[in-house]
Amino acid sequence: MRRVTTSTTTSSGSEIEQARRDRTAHTAVELSGVGKTFGTGTGAVTALRGIDLRVAHGEFLCLLGASGCGKSTLLNLLAGLEEPTTGTVSVTAARPSFMFQEAALMPWLTAARNVELPLQLAGQGRGARRERARELLELVRLDGVGDKRPHELSGGMRQRVSLARALAAATSTEGDAPGLLLMDEPFAALDAITRDVLQGELLRVWEATGTTVVFVTHDVREAVRLAQRVVLLSSRPGTVVREWSVDEHGPELHEEITGRLRQVITSHAA
Amino acid sequence: MPPELVERQGGSGTDDSAKALAGLDALDTPTVNRVPWWRRASRSVLPPVVALVLIVVVWQIVWASAITPEYKLPSPAAVWDEFLGIVADGSIWSILWTSISRAIFGFAIALVIATPLGLLVAKVPVVRSAIGPLLSGLQSLPSVAWVPAAVLWFGLTDATIYFVVLLGSVPSIATGLVAGIDQIPPILPRVGRVLGARGLASARHVLLPAALPGYLAGCKQGWAFSWRSLMAAEIIAAGPALGVGLGAYLKNGSDFNDIAAVFSAVLLILVVGIGIELLVFRPLERRVLRARGLAGV
Repeated sequence: MRRVTTSTTTSSGSEIEQARRDRTAHTAVELSGVGKTFGTGTGAVTALRGIDLRVAHGEFLCLLGASGCGKSTLLNLLAGLEEPTTGTVSVTAARPSFMFQEAALMPWLTAARNVELPLQLAGQGRGARRERARELLELVRLDGVGDKRPHELSGGMRQRVSLARALAAATSTEGDAPGLLLMDEPFAALDAITRDVLQGELLRVWEATGTTVVFVTHDVREAVRLAQRVVLLSSRPGTVVREWSVDEHGPELHEEITGRLRQVITSHAA
Repeated sequence: MPPELVERQGGSGTDDSAKALAGLDALDTPTVNRVPWWRRASRSVLPPVVALVLIVVVWQIVWASAITPEYKLPSPAAVWDEFLGIVADGSIWSILWTSISRAIFGFAIALVIATPLGLLVAKVPVVRSAIGPLLSGLQSLPSVAWVPAAVLWFGLTDATIYFVVLLGSVPSIATGLVAGIDQIPPILPRVGRVLGARGLASARHVLLPAALPGYLAGCKQGWAFSWRSLMAAEIIAAGPALGVGLGAYLKNGSDFNDIAAVFSAVLLILVVGIGIELLVFRPLERRVLRARGLAGV
């Protein structure tokens, strides 16, 4: 069953509200009534149910949830790797690109050639893609390590090469639609210091490139630090519990979100 | 193109962050200890040379003690003389060429057959369950066992030899490729798909390079098997149409009770086998593994 999407725009009195709407008028991602069920019959598992979600161009959105909230499924839907069982997914951004918990670099390619790979697959010429890879490596502050192989780099450096590659993929197709970065707990496997620095780097890169970011995490602190908007998902099946706009809330937001997350988790206690 | 976004970090913060990042990179980058080439050479060359010298010394002692009669165990000097003899009359070149050219040609055909076969077995489940067990079964069947049948089918011709060589090496190469593909971490094809690799592009840019170490190991074993099968075939199937290769040279030595020729043939077979391994497969494998950070530097 597929529903037809109708875009609704609610008018608001406040001028600031209006300005915000203008900036976010262009929707990069829109999910309406999205559900995903794996399998059929008694063995069927519902991963997602009734998800309505809108992400504006250039927005930084964090999806927060405990295990089993279907966040990876949601990202796969956005990337077009899976089809929803119900509802519609529309992505107007350029081809979405993925970043995973592991850097997942091709071990036989140098850092620069890894960044070039999506451009090569998109059919770009050698000169253009070399230049682009050099730019992107510079953006993640890895100029000069383009000739190194993944095993010669530290975990944090590998994850930055992976970020550069994701950015290359997001911008590999011609056109002015800014890219969409889907990030599946990309810093979860890093040590605390590196994670802290890389979070700052990600914000810097996001501001510099204007890409839309959908970032999945189970770390409330990370979500509050990075995102403009935090969406809390429940588990089994994943539904939207609440969402917070980070700018409008003070420092108490962290406590509040943690409290709600704990409620969601406790509700699963047998 | 970037929309105006909320300012979250002061300008001075980025500079600090750049420095912190540079510091982390310097601390966390894995250090690589390079061993100087002469030490590497002395480590890898010296032990086998010493072992070889010891073997020849023991051989000389056993021969000098005359425990075994001369027609069973020749002296190292007699074998050396025999070797010099075939070098002097030039027959060594035709003997070596006959065998090596057959092995290389046979191996090349085996590659052409085994590579698509391995890809099919690895990627098509029906093909895998149908002929997967057969492939591993064939690997444990000595290909010499095919010589009698091949002689009946093809007579004493080159076809017999190639048939036996192919049955020896194709299963190894194909199995190696299948193992190589099976061992690819699942995240890599997934990343490839996300980056836009589909179908053939995925095979070329992701699957084949990722499977290369296993494929190469299969090729190495396939070469050893094809060389072995070739020698077996040449010894058993000897005929005027087949020329004199290493196997036939060995058989002739045995037929004429010339133990020195037998020894010199066995040593030559060994030297060619080890030589190809050292000159072709070892450097290739080393390069592939080192590029992936899998081999000790």
